[in-house]
Amino acid sequence: MTAVIEVRDLTKRYKDTLALDAVSFDVEKDTIYGFLGRNGAGKTTAMSILTAQNFATSGSVRVFGEHPYENARVLSRICFVRESQKYPDDATARHALAAARLFFPHWDQDLAERLVDEFQLPMRTRIKKLSRGQLSAVGVIIGLASRAEITFFDEPYLGLDAVARQIFYDRLLADYAEHPRTILLSSHLIDEVANLVERVLVIDRGRIIMDETTEDALQKATNLVGDAAAIDAFLRGREVIHRESLGRVSSVTFVGGLTAAERGEASAAGLELAPVSLQQLIVRSTQHATHAPASEKEEVAS
Amino acid sequence: MIEEGKPLFVQIAERIEDSIVDGSLPERDQAPSTNELAAFYRINPATAAKGVAMLVDKSVLEKRRGIGMFVSDGARELLLRERRDAFADRYITPLIDEARRIGLSPTDLAALVREHGSTPQASPDTGRQS
Amino acid sequence: MSAVASSPQRHNRILNVVRLQFINKVTYIWMPLLVLGASWVISILIFAMIPLDGPKYGGGAQAPLWAFMAVGIQAMTMSFPFSQAMSLTRREFYLGTLAAASVTGVMLSTVFVVIGLIEKATDGFGVNGYFAYLPAVWASGWWAAWITYFVITMFLFVIGFWSATIFKRWGTLAVTLVLTGLGLILVGVVFLITRLEAWPATWTWLVETGPLGLALWAVPAIALMALGSYVTLRRAVA
Repeated sequence: MTAVIEVRDLTKRYKDTLALDAVSFDVEKDTIYGFLGRNGAGKTTAMSILTAQNFATSGSVRVFGEHPYENARVLSRICFVRESQKYPDDATARHALAAARLFFPHWDQDLAERLVDEFQLPMRTRIKKLSRGQLSAVGVIIGLASRAEITFFDEPYLGLDAVARQIFYDRLLADYAEHPRTILLSSHLIDEVANLVERVLVIDRGRIIMDETTEDALQKATNLVGDAAAIDAFLRGREVIHRESLGRVSSVTFVGGLTAAERGEASAAGLELAPVSLQQLIVRSTQHATHAPASEKEEVAS
Repeated sequence: MIEEGKPLFVQIAERIEDSIVDGSLPERDQAPSTNELAAFYRINPATAAKGVAMLVDKSVLEKRRGIGMFVSDGARELLLRERRDAFADRYITPLIDEARRIGLSPTDLAALVREHGSTPQASPDTGRQS
Repeated sequence: MSAVASSPQRHNRILNVVRLQFINKVTYIWMPLLVLGASWVISILIFAMIPLDGPKYGGGAQAPLWAFMAVGIQAMTMSFPFSQAMSLTRREFYLGTLAAASVTGVMLSTVFVVIGLIEKATDGFGVNGYFAYLPAVWASGWWAAWITYFVITMFLFVIGFWSATIFKRWGTLAVTLVLTGLGLILVGVVFLITRLEAWPATWTWLVETGPLGLALWAVPAIALMALGSYVTLRRAVA
């Protein structure tokens, strides 16, 4: 598969924080990526640097094989929808969409108009007077109708209610199916986007902690519920990333899966197996990383 | 609607298989397209495509170039055979385990099955009363 | 800046930035015209009320220029972030915006000259009041007046734009320091002239140079600030 974005050892240092710490990853063509992580983990910083809106402290970024900085050849093929975008004073949604039409070579006016209807966006109201949800809708519509070869959505739906969010996901999928392109969707609403994204890139405190297909990620951890002692005995030697207890019953999330034989054993021991949702997996992995350095393995006491 | 556990594409494939087995998607009919599946289940088209590919590999679906995916001849028989083979592992063994847990022997179990199975119910492929 | 080896598509994009600035016609067209027009009307009314017989001159023509300086500032604070959302390079935004400002400059200067010609023809609208036809400005002819007004318009726009790029790149403290620094230099020059008792000579020079001459002196200043803006903008984050 071709990589349309190649990031090598990307570092971004602010005065006293390391926003990105020697991050490396590739983004493959025509794939929807979930760019996931907590607030402040480095997602927006990374996307800003990839679109040359912000600058790296060190490391290299290649988009379509070139450096994006001041590179109209590259930039005209990408679109970055930010969480809170500034618009010219007194601009209306109509102005914003008319502007987008000028600069995105694959802009689809029909799609834009359909989306305006669906999101019920008032076109002639000043953007600064729009509600948070309507403001987000402007960005989302620009991002979708731009049909840019690489589109970045940075938590673009803050302020959108659940219905509007579903409209966004549905339109995104439908348009992607008709016009495949590379999409990076950052979100902290992980379970909402889990089925949409083909690959997940998880970033935690400036480091990539996961870079794989959603499928593979979901197989990464398993959850066992049952008698605490029985679980501990069963899980000897495995890396535990989360544990909850209620009386004698524990719910333990551990790295890896179980073979068919092991599943039988667990069932015989009265333990219930449950899959871990993507959100739980990522939340628990990042919590785990917070409480223990990455190199430590929590051995289950035998 | 989508449960967790098995990979998503496997779940999609199984749903298509279900509709073939219960007759709502007959043999020789056109299967839903990748994009239709993606839109309906609200999933990534690549995932839907993977599920379809899996069924093509199993010879449950076949590709007719230029037209689309169709349910293969004999797909239903194939699936029924597959499910009967897996039936014991999927249903019988856990049933026996659970029964044993609550103090029922396989003989008790057999009696229960006969008792509850005597409710009149047409079986889909033979029309016989069980 | 790179040599003009841009593809036609690239030229198109800069032109589109000009169009971008004019999508909302208020900022670069209606507002400046409105301010000029309103200032003009107000000036005439005031002239009409003053009971003097001789010609009266007012400074109302400068009103739109200060408003346009605000446009220069907003070009950086509001337009620039949006240009980033449109995936424009900083260079495209810069050139397109300056071009758009020039269009407004041309428009305003032309209107100014037209008003001046009307004033000349009607003897100050019958009230002997002159808003645009200021003798010193028109001394070398209507074209001199046009150039003077145009240069001053661009001068104020670029000051606004330049200050705003400093603000965007380095923040409030930096702008304050720069403007204070300039102010100090100005005060320093005044101090120097006073110390050298050179005021008469200075006035003579100013009068001899005239508004057109002074405007032409402003051109290198505009060029310097424009260049400075570009260099600062290159590393500014929206």
